Amino acid sequence: MSTLIERHIVSLLAERDDKAISLLYENYGDTLYGVAYKVVKDEELAQDVLQESFIKIWKKADSYDASKAKLFTWLFRITRNTAIDKLRSVNNKADKEVQIDVSDVYNLGVSGMSPEHLDIQDNLKKIEEKYRIVLEALFFEGMTQQEASEELDIPLGTIKSRLKIGLRELGKIYGTALTLLLLLNFMP
Amino acid sequence: MKEKVKAFLDSDILEKYLLGDTSKEETLKAERYITMYPEVRETYHELQDNLETFAKMYARKTPEGLKEIIVTSAKKEKMVRRSFYKYAVAASIAIMLFAGSSVFFWNQNKSLQEENTLVTNKIKYLEDNMKNQLEDMRNQFIVLNNPDTKKYAVNGKREGKELKAIAYINPVKKLSYINVSNVPNLPENKCFQMWAEVNGELVNLGVIKQFDEKDKLLALPYADKAVSYITVEPEGGNTSPSVDNIVANINY
Repeated sequence: MSTLIERHIVSLLAERDDKAISLLYENYGDTLYGVAYKVVKDEELAQDVLQESFIKIWKKADSYDASKAKLFTWLFRITRNTAIDKLRSVNNKADKEVQIDVSDVYNLGVSGMSPEHLDIQDNLKKIEEKYRIVLEALFFEGMTQQEASEELDIPLGTIKSRLKIGLRELGKIYGTALTLLLLLNFMP
Repeated sequence: MKEKVKAFLDSDILEKYLLGDTSKEETLKAERYITMYPEVRETYHELQDNLETFAKMYARKTPEGLKEIIVTSAKKEKMVRRSFYKYAVAASIAIMLFAGSSVFFWNQNKSLQEENTLVTNKIKYLEDNMKNQLEDMRNQFIVLNNPDTKKYAVNGKREGKELKAIAYINPVKKLSYINVSNVPNLPENKCFQMWAEVNGELVNLGVIKQFDEKDKLLALPYADKAVSYITVEPEGGNTSPSVDNIVANINY
């Protein structure tokens, strides 16, 4: 994603030109859809989330401040929060209607991985997995660090350091080239 | 300062800020550090790049047709917003008109209230005045028609030689009046002033004006064996009578 396109989209958003939506979808749709799916773990729900997120993005377009965050960071925050809210409302409904066990929602770790990600996981070294699990819990499950610590049975301090190292060293650990290669090879 | 930055980077505020999970205070702190310290700014940029890299790992092909649905609903949203603006403008105009007319009516109400107070006060004043005058008239009537009323002709001497006055005294009703019918001309800097001795003290009854009180009965304070005097005093009246200048006295 070149910054040129990013800037172009940002100016279209500011002008409230609906071409911005098409361009956003083309450039970020798959990634944001992946984020939504990772949170809600359901195709249909993920589609709802993506649609709601785009409406929010469109509505809040004039509140985007390029000096505070990159466009993707802003899009990610909106999509992630919409997905987490969606999941919570679905769970609340399910709790009331069918009394589904809540623990299913926070089913983390290796057993909770979708098959397509197991492929990536297989190709990642063990040291990467421990960071990834923490990042996923915090990024996609909407957990606080405390909740992640309890759920994953990892001390809070370790959660903090893994988040930090995982996120800061992500580029180094995966290597951009490797990540792209993995994406090309293993993403559906 | 470096330690402050290090402590900030060691905390997880920046990571939480990246995800939008910070509290209001933490958000302000994060934004302040990002603005102030290049190393924080650099780390934040790096975190953002890494977040994008990380998120892209989970990219998933969007289903066919979803794009059209999303673009269409966004366009609809734009229309809704437009019509919302139309309604907002209409509502704003309505509010402005309402506010304008409210101010107008409020002002009008206020001035009417002020006028109402003024009229009420005037009526009250007139009423009081009328009552007083009526009471005075009633007393005059009583005095003049009462068989016990005695009539004294008051004749002046010296400068007041031409002064003509009649006093009406009723010892039963304890009322006394005086009618000054003729006031002689005095030098410009002099005037006639009336006094009454009540309980051994001289009370100022005021200056006798030349013309306007000709047919008027002036009430005198009543006391048994009282004495009234008319003196010549400097223009505007005096605070105590000049005994040498007594031009008339009325005993009753």
